[in-house]
Amino acid sequence: MKYLVMETHPAYAVLLDERGRFVKAANLHYRVGDTVQDVVELRAPEKKRSARYRPLIGAAGLAACMCLAFFGYYQPNFTAYGTVRIQINPDVEMTISRTERVLDLEALNADGQVLLQGYSYQGKSRDTATDELVERAIDLGYLSDGDTISITVNSADADWQTQEEEQVRRQLEERYGESIVIELGERTQSTPDPTPAQEAVEVIVPVAPPTASAAPAATPGPAASPSAAPEPAATPRPRPTATNSGADTDYGAGSDGVTDYDDTDYGPNTDGVTDYQDTDYGPNADGVTDYQDTDGSSNADGATDYGDADGGSYQDGVTDYEDREGETWDDIGDDESEDDDGEDDADGDDGEDDADGDDGGEEDDD
Amino acid sequence: MVRTEHTIVAQVYAAKTDTEAADALIQQYMGFIHSETAKSIQAAPADGHEDELSIAMFAFYEAILSYEKDKGAFLPYASRAIRNRLIDHYRTERRHGNLISLHTPAGEEDRELLDTLPDAKNEIGEYELRTASQKEIQEFGAQLARFGLSFSDVADSCPRQERTLQACRRVMAYGRSRADLLEQMVKSGKLPIAELAKGTGVDKKTLERHRKYLVAILLAFTNGYEIIRGHLCQIGPGKGGMQP
Repeated sequence: MKYLVMETHPAYAVLLDERGRFVKAANLHYRVGDTVQDVVELRAPEKKRSARYRPLIGAAGLAACMCLAFFGYYQPNFTAYGTVRIQINPDVEMTISRTERVLDLEALNADGQVLLQGYSYQGKSRDTATDELVERAIDLGYLSDGDTISITVNSADADWQTQEEEQVRRQLEERYGESIVIELGERTQSTPDPTPAQEAVEVIVPVAPPTASAAPAATPGPAASPSAAPEPAATPRPRPTATNSGADTDYGAGSDGVTDYDDTDYGPNTDGVTDYQDTDYGPNADGVTDYQDTDGSSNADGATDYGDADGGSYQDGVTDYEDREGETWDDIGDDESEDDDGEDDADGDDGEDDADGDDGGEEDDD
Repeated sequence: MVRTEHTIVAQVYAAKTDTEAADALIQQYMGFIHSETAKSIQAAPADGHEDELSIAMFAFYEAILSYEKDKGAFLPYASRAIRNRLIDHYRTERRHGNLISLHTPAGEEDRELLDTLPDAKNEIGEYELRTASQKEIQEFGAQLARFGLSFSDVADSCPRQERTLQACRRVMAYGRSRADLLEQMVKSGKLPIAELAKGTGVDKKTLERHRKYLVAILLAFTNGYEIIRGHLCQIGPGKGGMQP
């Protein structure tokens, strides 16, 4: 670029470049009319920022700081990012921030409220709060060996969610894994008493497949489907198997393909009605353990005879203390008359003596 | 009465706008400039270092233009400006470090390299050309003075941004096509801003801001300033060059 020197001053020269710009440059001994190259051009002084923008700059800086504070500190620490639900039996849900800070703690059932009573989560991290809550649950007796803790993590961020689930699970397993089952995912049945629900789950799983396959083959003639045979007075069938442990269902004969956990009325005399009150199944051979019925198998008379203290009932093979006492009382009649001591004393002595004597007699017989 | 600021501050502020005051101030502080240059180049700026002194003076002038009184004292600021400028100068000069001087001895006897080169300069032609352009520029300057302008003013109002320069070019092209407007301008001594803005679509404010510059360039094209117009070969369509 060539410059034409237009005007010279002691310190600078005004030059005209080929593109029509007038520039000031260092006057390196130029004379007016010279054509020069390689000039040292003036650096324009920086425009002073107008005072109008100065408060604006401050405001922008402040806004930037606040943005930084909000996105860098507040949002990860103080806004809800997900929830962790812990179901021991107390069902509690904690809302936590991205940095695992507990923001809120909420009870989802009555036990949960008890658990959270007087507990302060403020400023605690997720793992501290989890530990403390489990500890509290143990202290309050909600959690004992073999029980299950279910953990459910919910968040819009799937990665964070799985990571969090994994962390909670690992944390609890490290501490309680030996005695307590930690599982992920929501517990489906939230019954007030967790024990039956768990047992039910444990029983169902191995049993269910054979039920389906065995049902058609195992049902012989009098296959009593609940709909077809509502006979209250069905023929009693002795069932040697004592698999009826309360929660059991129908297998083998008489299986109706339906698992009636609560139906204690099964077997051939299925009537489709659960007769809880009916503790007497007719002649003894219904295969049910009748806890209520102290009236034993051989001597079933269809009634529980607590009051029947006399002779015949003694033969039933069941140790009927009341019966025996009745008998001994008969025997002792003489002794009592002989003894001069008080009634109480005499009863005690006699009872013991008699019992010893009986035992001896039985041993001799054997 | 307590004087809150040195007299030099007022002088500097006067020199920012008034070229003569600036020249006077520089003359007054030549000693300072000398000493700063000497400190910087570790030598007296007398012989062989004239360029450095010129650059230092120029830096001093720049310092005058950019000085702000609420940012500190002027002389330390000027001193810093001079030193920075000289450092810049050395950096650009160092690019030529691997060239050999024309004054290096060239082989036999006392001859220098310079003497072996053919004299390409047409001394007489150059002198004539310079005298002619000098005359033309003086005339141009005189005409500008009738508009109340100096070359310094024109340089100050010259657009620095490429976009603005392009806008001014459009205005100039339009002005050259409208001889009546130019005549009117020469007569009245005023730039017909309204017409130019209407004709080119350039904002009036832009025209007003660069009024002095536009006047100077349009004047250069009206009269017979052959050398100046020749120099401005890159302006205007159809003349080739770097017209974008």
